Amino acid sequence: MISNAMSLMIAIPLIAAIIAFINGKIARYAALIGSLISLIISLQMFQEFDRTSSVMQFVESYDWVPSIGVKYTLGVDGIGMPLVLLSTIVTLMVVIYAWGETKRPNQFFALLLLNEFGVLGVFTALDFFLFYIFWEIVLIPMFFLIGIWGGPRKDYAAIKFFIYTHVASLVMLLSIFALYFSYRTPSGARTFDMLTLIQATSDSTIFSPMLLNVIFIGLLIGFMVKMPAVPFHTWLPDAHVEAPTAGSVILAALLLKMGGYGLFRIIMPMLPNVSHHYITLMAIIGTVSIIYGGFMALSQKDIKKMVAYSSVSHMGYVMLGAGAFTWLSVEGAMFQQFSHGLITCVLFMTAGTIGHTTGTRMIADLGGLADRMPKFAFLMMASFLASLGLPGMCGFVAELAVLTGSYATLPIYVLIVIFGGIVVTAGYHLWAIQKTMFGPILKKYLDLHDPHSYELLSMSILVALMIYFGINPSPIMGIMHVAADQLVNGSVLTLAQMGVI
Amino acid sequence: MYSDYAYLIVALPILAFVLTIFLGWYLPKGGGFFTILATFGALIISLGIFREIYPTNTIVHQSAPWFATFNFGILIDPLAIVMLLMVSFVCTLIHIYALGYMDGDPGLARYFAEAGLFTAAMLGLVLSDNILQLFIFWELVGLCSYLLIGFWYRKPTAASAAKKAFLVTRVGDIMFLAGIIILYTNLAKLNLVLPDGAYLLQFQTIYSNLALIPPNQLTYVALLLFGGAVGKSGQFPLHVWLPDAMEGPTTVSAMIHAATMVTAGVYLVARSFPLFYAAPHALTVVAYVGGFTALFAATLGLVMFDIKRVLAFSTISQLGYMMLGLGVGATVGATAVGVSMFHLIGHSFFKALLFLCAGSVIHATGTNDMREMGGVLKSMKWTGSCMLAGCLALVGFPLTTGFYSKDEIIVTAYENGLGANGWLPYVFAITAVLLTAIYSFRLWFLTFDGRPRSDYGKHESPWVMVGPLVILAICALGMGVPTQGPFYDYVGNNFEHYDLNFDELAVIGGHHVENEEAVHEPFIIKILPLVFCLGGILIAALFYSRWRKFDSSRISPKNDPIRHIIFRRYYLNEFYTGWFTETIVYGLALLTNAFDLKIVDGIVNKISELLVGFGGTVRKVQTGLIQDYITAIVLGLTVLLILIKLVMVVAT
Repeated sequence: MISNAMSLMIAIPLIAAIIAFINGKIARYAALIGSLISLIISLQMFQEFDRTSSVMQFVESYDWVPSIGVKYTLGVDGIGMPLVLLSTIVTLMVVIYAWGETKRPNQFFALLLLNEFGVLGVFTALDFFLFYIFWEIVLIPMFFLIGIWGGPRKDYAAIKFFIYTHVASLVMLLSIFALYFSYRTPSGARTFDMLTLIQATSDSTIFSPMLLNVIFIGLLIGFMVKMPAVPFHTWLPDAHVEAPTAGSVILAALLLKMGGYGLFRIIMPMLPNVSHHYITLMAIIGTVSIIYGGFMALSQKDIKKMVAYSSVSHMGYVMLGAGAFTWLSVEGAMFQQFSHGLITCVLFMTAGTIGHTTGTRMIADLGGLADRMPKFAFLMMASFLASLGLPGMCGFVAELAVLTGSYATLPIYVLIVIFGGIVVTAGYHLWAIQKTMFGPILKKYLDLHDPHSYELLSMSILVALMIYFGINPSPIMGIMHVAADQLVNGSVLTLAQMGVI
Repeated sequence: MYSDYAYLIVALPILAFVLTIFLGWYLPKGGGFFTILATFGALIISLGIFREIYPTNTIVHQSAPWFATFNFGILIDPLAIVMLLMVSFVCTLIHIYALGYMDGDPGLARYFAEAGLFTAAMLGLVLSDNILQLFIFWELVGLCSYLLIGFWYRKPTAASAAKKAFLVTRVGDIMFLAGIIILYTNLAKLNLVLPDGAYLLQFQTIYSNLALIPPNQLTYVALLLFGGAVGKSGQFPLHVWLPDAMEGPTTVSAMIHAATMVTAGVYLVARSFPLFYAAPHALTVVAYVGGFTALFAATLGLVMFDIKRVLAFSTISQLGYMMLGLGVGATVGATAVGVSMFHLIGHSFFKALLFLCAGSVIHATGTNDMREMGGVLKSMKWTGSCMLAGCLALVGFPLTTGFYSKDEIIVTAYENGLGANGWLPYVFAITAVLLTAIYSFRLWFLTFDGRPRSDYGKHESPWVMVGPLVILAICALGMGVPTQGPFYDYVGNNFEHYDLNFDELAVIGGHHVENEEAVHEPFIIKILPLVFCLGGILIAALFYSRWRKFDSSRISPKNDPIRHIIFRRYYLNEFYTGWFTETIVYGLALLTNAFDLKIVDGIVNKISELLVGFGGTVRKVQTGLIQDYITAIVLGLTVLLILIKLVMVVAT
């Protein structure tokens, strides 16, 4: 692998974004090529990734602002690698799906790429300062995507999204500062190095239990808002309903994963040292998110809002699996991030396609579309079935692993999820399919036809990936297994202890 | 040699699915021959494997890792091979029949693709070597039934019947899933050192470690697994989806009701029989639910006028017998599996036959309603005689296939009643025999006998449809006599291939094993099923045939409350869909929605309103002078840092 491949992978979307912004005519080609190159680099990294090792790989570390201990450190392990891969796949698919965008294409594609830049940075940064910068960068393109290309209530949604998540980020920032100011390296310097600080949290002479509990809740809130977990979820449906399809896809498939990533990277290593009530809290929030999200989805009239709530429900599994703290549950929670990223893409794409072909997204106004849009119906059905957890698709693998793994430590919660959540999940998916796709075709939709081939292509590739990872999850699950094992059994090692710098 | 290719049993129909879904649209007959050939290929391989393992009394087992501690694999033992043979054989015949029945449908390629996948899923379910893989194929069977019941998706009733089937069986499936999870956790707790190629959820591992798991956990697992079987096999109270499943094409009904899907639940209980045996009370529950379902569904079969619905309720009732047959294993041990499986196999022949005959009649007459039929025998001699054979087998007429298994189940239920397990299952079962005979021959007489009651189409179906009927009729009538003895031996001793000791399990499960020779049933018990069966036929003849002596409407007039309750299927549909789903579940969803908008989001908006109000006054600070902003930033940062310091000081 070429040196600095990681920086290159992150930088290319940024360069492509600038090119796209300058020249609107080639914007979509710049976006396509930029995201394609990033995907190729990440695939090559995935290929070369040492699947049996739990140390950080492809590490790059340079001094940035040495006076305050800020470094430019990048690296991935089993937690970050699948999400890097997911980000590059999803971005390319979104670019393909949005190929026909005609409103301000230069800004549109530039923002999509800027988003990829930020997300990739979050999943690879190993310095809290850098991490936080990327974390905040992501907000900006999404704010504009909602604010410019959004629906009727776009201003409300964009500002709500921005302020809500930004406030949460600030809470997280406070905790990061608290970590920063509590710890000195043996040489007496301050550092923002993520792994060093996380490792230090296990030392109760530096971090008293009470201080650590306060820091922990700040970080947890920051990530829970992003995921989002009930009761911090209300920005999500508004943002989704108003956002353009491409924005919704990026939001659900990648931005939500940042919250889950934070759970694995930062929260879980601290979990053994903080009050055990936090485990109960996480279990309750995870369980409530799953069931509450399911019931919310069932009551929605707008199909896009329904899909948005299904995200709340599915991200609850990540929370539950992380809280249960067994290797299988953690592995499953990690895979749920990956699998939900793929599935929710197609869900939002289908909702978007229905919206722009029929002019409405209200489930009650639709009917019999399968008659005129058979290929689309097939893809929509496949994605909905994947989302309800049908075996053979990736969602089942993740949910099975989470539930099976969590039963050992959180039996009651698992039973509540199984009996309170799964049938409801199946219910709203099937109900939506039946109302929109089946039954006699409504007169006003008689002259509809299958959507553009690029939309179908993008959805087909994602559906194929869902089936592939549903049948053969081990390429991804294997590296997650090493990471999950490390999280549950091992202590955190710094980069120097790993011997990678 | 054939066993090396065991994977092809599943792979061939899946290949057919892929080929048909992509190419079928461009091929004659929707590419149906792919599916037929693939299913036939699966039959040939199954036969080959049977020839290899039957004389030597061995089993086939292959396994490979999947992910984490899970695996996928193939296990073909006596229990599996008889199912494989039955499924591939009956499905081949049904697919051939479908060539004629579905001819001209614009979605033919989709039909054969989904039918191929359905067959593959069922075959995969049968040869699974671990319970998770069984669950996966179980769900795929559910998916295919969803697709096939909703095959005519433009019809709203079909779309909603498909959804109902999926959701109701899903209720069972989550119990199954919970059972697997609890079982997995209990096995994982044992910290077993597994040899190479062995995995936690494999049936061998489960069988050989049953004695180490706490009995109450075994009961939970068994009851949850049984919950799954109740959903899939249409047992009371989750049977409501099965009659509605008639909305699909008749061939689909035949597949669902005879060869695939509904038998999966019975197969699951048979496959995990040692688990049920070791779990206290589990088999008693199975026997009660099975017996009750047999009687309950038979009463419903009495009043239906849709020819397919009568058969649907008859399926539910017969599945009840199979469950009862397994439940009485509490008394007779693993031989119960042989008897119950024999009933399953025999039933799949005569029920496939009955459905295909009904399809043939519907195809010709253009109606489902028996009140519009009558005298069909004149124009459809082959179909009529085949259906008579099916009815005779269904009621358990002597020497037919149904006679051997059903009688055996009922007599064993009597023995079971002698023990501490109660008489009710026996009473249910024996009463149901009478009702079965009545509704079966009511159906036959109403359809084929008497005078035409409407102007329906009068012609015999084409040979691709009649051919499978004749073959199935021969099986339904003749399979019982030659195969009965060897079958009981072969399948009843299925579990001898595994490392388990039924005497040990009997102690855990609290069973008193009866000595087979010690029990002598009175002659009346042995003869009673036959008497009831003949009596039932006679009653049906007196009411519905050309020699009728009584008028049914006088015994039970239109406004008879009992008749009305049964006709509305005991109001269970209203209870589930009207009350439970639409009122409770959907109402809860609406309440959640209101709560979310008013309270959860309301608080967020309230806070922002307060802040905006506050911001209005603060806005005057925005002077536009850079010095002011810098001052504000420095001030803000200072406050922030002081805040952090304070928190840290307080906390430490």
